[in-house]
Amino acid sequence: MLLVGDAGDFALAERPMVERLCADALTDDDRDVLSCEGLLIDDGDPLGRVAYAYGVAERIGHAGALDYLILVPTLRCNLSCSYCQVSRVAERSTGFDWNEATLAAVLRLIDGLETERVKIEFQGGEPTLRPDLIRAVIDRCERIPIRQFVICTNLQRIDDDVLALFDRPDVFISTSLDGDAATHARQRTGDGATTDAFLANLRFVLDRYGPTKVSALPTVDPARLPDMDGLIDSYAAHGIDGVFLRPINYQGFARKRHAEVRELDAAWRDYHSAFVRRLIERNWEDRSRVLEETYFSICLRRVFQPGADRHVDLRDPNPVGVDYVVVDHDGRVYPTDEARMLTRSGVIDLAIGDVFDGWETEARDRLNAHATNRFDPTCMGCAYQPFCGRDLVDDLSRYGRIDLPRHETEFCRRHLAMFDLVFELIYSADPAVRYSLARWLRLPGTPTEFGVRLS
Amino acid sequence: MIRLTLPAASDAEAAYVARLNTGRGGVDEADAALVDEDAEGVTYLGRHGVLAIDGASATELNGDVVIVDPVGGRAERILRRGSGHNTLLVTERCDQLCLMCSQPPKKTHVDRFALFEQACLLAESDSLIGISGGEPTLYKADLLGMLEHVLAERPDLEFHVLTNGQFFDDDDVARLRDERYARVSWGIPIYAADAALHDRIVGKDGAFSRLEKSMAVLARAGARIELRTVLVADNADALTRLARYVAKRLRFVEVWSIMQLENIGFARARWASLFVEHARDFGPIGDAIDHAALHGIRAQLFNFPRCTVPEPWRDLARASISDWKRRYADACAPCRERDACSGFFEWHPIQQAEDGVTPL
Repeated sequence: MLLVGDAGDFALAERPMVERLCADALTDDDRDVLSCEGLLIDDGDPLGRVAYAYGVAERIGHAGALDYLILVPTLRCNLSCSYCQVSRVAERSTGFDWNEATLAAVLRLIDGLETERVKIEFQGGEPTLRPDLIRAVIDRCERIPIRQFVICTNLQRIDDDVLALFDRPDVFISTSLDGDAATHARQRTGDGATTDAFLANLRFVLDRYGPTKVSALPTVDPARLPDMDGLIDSYAAHGIDGVFLRPINYQGFARKRHAEVRELDAAWRDYHSAFVRRLIERNWEDRSRVLEETYFSICLRRVFQPGADRHVDLRDPNPVGVDYVVVDHDGRVYPTDEARMLTRSGVIDLAIGDVFDGWETEARDRLNAHATNRFDPTCMGCAYQPFCGRDLVDDLSRYGRIDLPRHETEFCRRHLAMFDLVFELIYSADPAVRYSLARWLRLPGTPTEFGVRLS
Repeated sequence: MIRLTLPAASDAEAAYVARLNTGRGGVDEADAALVDEDAEGVTYLGRHGVLAIDGASATELNGDVVIVDPVGGRAERILRRGSGHNTLLVTERCDQLCLMCSQPPKKTHVDRFALFEQACLLAESDSLIGISGGEPTLYKADLLGMLEHVLAERPDLEFHVLTNGQFFDDDDVARLRDERYARVSWGIPIYAADAALHDRIVGKDGAFSRLEKSMAVLARAGARIELRTVLVADNADALTRLARYVAKRLRFVEVWSIMQLENIGFARARWASLFVEHARDFGPIGDAIDHAALHGIRAQLFNFPRCTVPEPWRDLARASISDWKRRYADACAPCRERDACSGFFEWHPIQQAEDGVTPL
């Protein structure tokens, strides 16, 4: 039985210990061990009490001042992917770019940032269709000491203006690579010539900047799960070690064309788990590089290292419209990119405000009143609560409501499966497993054990 | 080795503090200004009259803050200009008697808090001042009073206080929450998670339990803590358990320093039975660091020459040994990582140092 405390301390109790625990027959040694593991506070142990309070506080997500903007300077795109997640319009459409007033409002927003660091992600559409807008934003951030810009691009065309942006040391490139050329063509580009142009450009930026500056994500179709080694190889061949497996998103326009996605969730979970296990085998066979699935690593780190909250899908509480926002092509502000897509698909309007008048709105406050798993009756009985989070937008996109019993939601099923896998691997005796876990946790060596057993 | 105490002559009646100034730039009333320099030493003139210091040049001494002891005929370089290793030894008394103590305690106490306070007020801008002993918190009221005065007058200064954590109690919580203490970090030793073993190493029954009580006080005050563990044969195999203890019960510490032994004080006579040859078997240390890192506790290695630490953990080895007592083996000459390396204590067994290094 897995024992987990409110602060995320845990131990695997074997049958004799469980029996003593249930019979209220703990020995003094038991009490000492449980105290030491942070699972019991004895009277007369002020340090245990402080450690408990500190541990619980560490688990509470902290949203600081606004320092992360996701900007959509244009909704136009030069590709038309079968599942387009971001909702897009044809390249030649008009009226889907920031106008002068919107740009001015975004620049005022940047002038008002009060932090020492800023991260700005350019989404679309295809943001490189408007390098002038990207340039204007970047120039305006000059006064902020620590800056990071990520351009999310399909890398179909790199002209001189775009190249000049890429050349900046504070600019990073994020793109999509769905697997081998055939898969990428089927899902994204449509034909061989367009795929070749993308692959040539990907090779070009990797050669020019190295893999630390370029990241890529695959969008995986759960109805046509790709061969795992083929997918891994297509990344490894480009020198990219981290793969963030992303199922076709149920939100946005994908909803209209892939109605069966909901039934494919279970198959997806099995695939993800098998993928992680395959990475473990490959890492053990070839120690020269460490491959990882990014979302699994995020969940793993959350078990051991509270405060690993930068991935906001999994923090708790998870307030929206505080430390990060999305500014759409028309200046409307959304809590997340998923909320933007969901609104665009006509399901529900999740805009919380706009860049002209701000987003300290009732709509935002209403979302934030429910942005925690802390008081959810199902979550309160869940061993994984300290590690897990809350994603209102995901619930809304799937069910149109947020008050379903938690265990009936896909968010819950997905994360239960994820943390089941995490704990199975934590207690694995296989040296190959321990080796990969240690690398994914960024440890210098490989510890003798990741979790204690109490007998 | 840099000499911290120099022969000096002064006509003053009592000990005083002065800042040595070559005369260029502004001269403050606390300054002793250079008047003469020859092969023997340097002569200064300040408000306490003439001060002659032997054995150093005006250039070396420029900007140093010294305590002049006219009766003992010496000047102590309390705050050396440009050094990151200035430490005030506020008492030589201690309530513990650690197996490996590098600075064995004395029975008597000389109260020099007033002089230390004057010295700190003259410190270079933005400096970090260490406080050590003996056990500084045996004189907790004097110590906290001095820290608070100096920190109020000098918002640019920070202190690092080495203490065994035997004297904090609930009444200190409110006081230590004062914002000035954000500029104080407390270096506190813990040798094992097992109370009996810790108590045996520090030579005091009940020390571990008392330390836990102080830790709870400091945590509630939001104090900044650097945990320190000196590696000895007695606790080497208990290090992983200690790492787990730190990760579970002392998560609020800023950093955990694992320190190799210093061949001085009690450790000198007991060297053979205490020193752990980590270069031969780094296993227990690496495992302890990994367990700490697993739970997000930052560990660092003090007094571990970098070439003696296996590569995965090497970047945790800091240049920890104070400048005035640090040296490198002759064999270190070609090493590329020398500047980042602790080197050895001046008094480390010479042959052991020469045989133990492999230049990187």
